[in-house]
Order: sequence, then structure tokens, then C-alpha cells
Amino acid sequence: MFKRLAAAALILTSALPMTAQSEGGMYMSVEAEKKIDKKLSVSLEAAMRTRNNFKTMDRWSLDLGAEYKFNKWLKAEAGYMLMDQNNREKINYKTTGAYDTWRPSYWQLRHRVYASLTGTLKLGNNFKVSLRERWQYTYRPEMTTQRWDFDDEAWEDKVRESKGKHVLRSRLTLSYDKKQALLSPYANIELYNGWGIEKVRYTVGTDIRLSKQHSLTTFYRFQDIRNASPEEYDPDMHYVGVGYKFKF
Amino acid sequence: MAAVLITSCQNDDTDFSEYINGGQSGVTTISIAYNGTSVSITGDTKGYVTTNGADVTVNATNSTDSLLLVLSGTTTDGSLLIFREKQFGIKLNGVSINNNDGPAINNQCSKALYLDVADGTTNTLTDGTSYNESVSYQQKGTLFSEGQIYFLGTGTLKVTGNSKNAIACDDYIIMDQATVYANTTTGNGIKVNDGLWINGGALNIGVTADGGRGIKCDSTVTINGGTTIISTSGDCVYDSDEQDYSSAACIKCDYDFTMTAGKLVMNSSGDGGKGLNCSTKVAFSGGELTATTIGSNDNGKPKAVKGDGGIIVSGGTFKANVNKSWACDNGTDSELPEDHLTVTGSPQTATITKKSVEITY
Repeated sequence: MFKRLAAAALILTSALPMTAQSEGGMYMSVEAEKKIDKKLSVSLEAAMRTRNNFKTMDRWSLDLGAEYKFNKWLKAEAGYMLMDQNNREKINYKTTGAYDTWRPSYWQLRHRVYASLTGTLKLGNNFKVSLRERWQYTYRPEMTTQRWDFDDEAWEDKVRESKGKHVLRSRLTLSYDKKQALLSPYANIELYNGWGIEKVRYTVGTDIRLSKQHSLTTFYRFQDIRNASPEEYDPDMHYVGVGYKFKF
Repeated sequence: MAAVLITSCQNDDTDFSEYINGGQSGVTTISIAYNGTSVSITGDTKGYVTTNGADVTVNATNSTDSLLLVLSGTTTDGSLLIFREKQFGIKLNGVSINNNDGPAINNQCSKALYLDVADGTTNTLTDGTSYNESVSYQQKGTLFSEGQIYFLGTGTLKVTGNSKNAIACDDYIIMDQATVYANTTTGNGIKVNDGLWINGGALNIGVTADGGRGIKCDSTVTINGGTTIISTSGDCVYDSDEQDYSSAACIKCDYDFTMTAGKLVMNSSGDGGKGLNCSTKVAFSGGELTATTIGSNDNGKPKAVKGDGGIIVSGGTFKANVNKSWACDNGTDSELPEDHLTVTGSPQTATITKKSVEITY
């Protein structure tokens, strides 16, 4: 089973259209979940992401969350995520096209808190549709980086001020969820709404139930960047994701 | 998993080590001076340039330096072809290029081209009536760019398309300055894929081909300044795939048209000719827009301003006039002229009839 899945992932990534404005990347995660009681559970997830057609680390994260099920169709989640983000380089140009300054890529810690509500509707034949509305606030502390000035031919300090950002994420998922089934495929679309739609994620994947405690997940995700500034390099992304979950 | 981690350790920064280590500085400036059927090259210290008569090829594919090409002189059968992966600049310093069998300037770089039309100069680019198509790269117009074009400088550029489009760009175009003339008897004045922003300068487009467009944009058109004057005279052409007639239009855009300032004058005289033909929303909030179509409606439906997703006027001076059909068409079936556009705010004057719409704030 796993050889077939690995082969499928390789075939999928090799067929991805890596255009000048899109890249490939990987999501990998490991999660541990503990049920406190029938309604409440807590989880800890470590994840990493790559970009640049899988060649460059993009982000590490640790996510501590809690989930509370009000009833069969409504649940709430909240959590804190610590992220270490590899911010892409930034090249500024003069109006003649000549290089002006270059700020290399750099790693920076970010803090995120989030809360969400998810409503689920069973459609019959083990299909269900769910809508998750998630609010998240991400804080980036102030940081001083180095920037190369091509005219002065020297490094200069560049202060990136601290910044906080609110985003509303709306995710609609259609899934097939039969009890004890090996595979639980799903497809979802998620909108990121800051001061307008900033990106849209389209995901198809499946959870794989190995046992009562162990499960895998694998997916393909297309991330469509909207309203990108022409001066910023913010490409669309094709992600392949693999995750492992253990339930205590 | 370990293999993924190992291969994910590369840095994706641009390699500027030569600059930082002192081996590279400044801009590589190459002067290309055309002289009839020959050309003189100076400043090519990196060996980027090859020539065949007055046909110049710049191959700077693997370079990371800043590059500026300065063009001057006159050729009756020459060209400039560029291959590169980083953005660069071209300065038109009083150059006249005619290429009998292809684009006068063909930029095969998918990053930005900064086109500086040098102050006080007049530059002309023309092509022949047919292209040599036995090449491996695209040739979509007399001035063709795979990457973005930024028009700069206060000089004058005259581009004539005798075979295809006058100006064609597979990315977006931003016009901040320059006086640009784009005329063609065969294609579109400007064909651009990913958006056109006019922020300043002066743009004059004349298109005579049946079904030809002054500006044909597969994305949005945004006017925030400058003076743009477009005229088309062609009739409709029958599109056998669509099984319908396709009209000439001064501006045809597949997504929103937005105007906040500047001056836009559109005149269309062919059968079914349109002024502004927008597949989504037209939003006019400032500046002066004048659209006049005087063509017949034998096969096509002439419209001064057409916005299938709505026409919203909220400022400036908006004038749309036709001899036949409707001045404004927002997709409604209503026979009431006031239903054919949306006027917001409190205009000083508003005259809305089937064939004439004039609104002033």
C-alpha cells in the first residue's frame, strides 16, 4: 500500500506544471492526539513545509490545540502555533532595471493563535459536508536583517518592524467517512480572507486508517495566490502532503 | 522522509556572490548602433552579442548582472532578439528598426523589460508583411515581449505592425511615461495577456483590420492617468468557431476595466465597431472618457461602452455616443436607457438616452 502511495506521489509531483510563477513543495506532519473525555481532546502537531520545487525548507511549526465537540454536528477548536518561517529574499530594482538592493532570505519566528467553529452535515451514503470558519492572528516580532546596497557595495541594516495580521479562513469540505474503512477521501476549498481574498487552497486527499490509534493522511493541494503585488515574488504552489497521527 | 529533508536544504536566493565579493559592480551597458545593413556593438565585455548583418542577438541567459541595451541608428532590415532570465533595460536613444521578416524587437525574457524611450528622441519600429516562422521562439508583434513591459522616458516611440500586432506582451504592461504610437493594418494595436496599466504618458493607437482591437487584453485594463486615443475602422469578421461575428473594438478586455483619472478617447467607425468592450465590469470614477461609434449594424452591434458585468459611473466626465444600437450595454434586456448603466453619487449633469449618454460630475 505504501509503496503504491509513494509511487503515486512521485508521479503526481513529476507531472505538476512548474511554471515560472508556480512552485512545488511538500507538507509533512506528525501529530499526537489525546482524548480527555467524550467531548474534549488536545493535540500536539509538528510540521514542516518546503518550497522551490521541494529543494528549500520553507517553514517549521509546532501546534498545540484543543477541540471541543458540542454535539454531532458542531465543534470548536482553539490553539497556539509557533512557527519558524524562511522568508524569501527581496530584490529591489531601479526604474532602469538595475539592481538597487538585495535582502537575502532569513528565518524568523512567528506566533499564531487561532479559533474555529466547524459545522457538519451528513448527506447520506457516508458522505458529509462541513464548513469550518477559522479566525487566526499571526504576530511577527521586530527583527533586524542585513541588506546589500548595489550602489554603495556594502551591507546595511534593515529593520523589519513587528506586525500582526488577522485572517479569516473559510473551508468547505466534502468527505467520505465510513466507519472502519481503510480510506476516507476528501476534497476541500479554503479561502483566506485578510482585507480581501488573499489566497485560495484546493485540496484533494485521503485519510488512511491503519488501526484504531495510527492513521496517515496524504493529499495534493494547489494554492492560488490572489492580489499579489507585481514587485513581490509570491508564486502559486503545488503541494504534496503526508501526515501521521497517533491517538492515545 | 530523510531523503526529503536532505534535498530540502538548498537556499533559493539569487547568487549575488560576485557582487558581494567585489567581482561585479554596476550595470553592463551595451550600445547597439544600427547603420543600414550593419551594426556597431560597444561595451559587450561579457560576450552576450552576436550579429548577422543588422540582426542582433543578445544571449545573456545565465547572467545575473544588471543589463542595459542602448539602441540608436537606423536599419532598413535589422532586428534585436534577447534571451535572458533576469529583468533588464532597453534604452531607445533615437533608433529606427525595420525588420522585413519578423519583430523589430523580440524580448524572449519572461521577466520585466524596462523600456526607456529616451527624452527628446523619436524612435520607430516596423515589421514586414510576413514573418519567417521557421524559428523556435514566438513572434507576436513588431515589439514583442514574453515578460512585463514598463514604458518609461519622455521620448516618442512609433510602432507599426504590418504582419501581426504592433505591440504584443505575454505578461502585463505598465505605462508610466513616453509617447507611444501603435498602428497596424493586420492585428491589434496592443495585445497583452496579464493586464494593462496606464498611469501617464500618451498612447495613440490606430487599427484598421476587420475585427481588430486597439487594445486587446486577456485580463484587466486600468487607467489612472495619461492621454489615450484609440481609433478602429474595421468591420466585423465572422468567427466560424463561435459561429458569430466578432467586432472591432478600441478596447477589448476579458476582465474589469477601471478608470480613475486621465483622458481616454475612443472612436470606432466600422460595422459593429465598439468603443469599450469589457467582458466583466466597467468602473469609471474619474478623468474623461469619450467613446463614439459611427458604424452600421449590418452584422455587428455597435456599442460605445459595453460591460457585461455592469457599467458603473461615479465621477469624472463620461460620454458615450452611437449612430446605431445602444450607447451603453451592461447586459440588460431592458428597453429603458437608464437601466443600461449605473450612475452613483450626484453628477452635475446626466443625459441618458439610447444613443447618447453624457454624465459630468
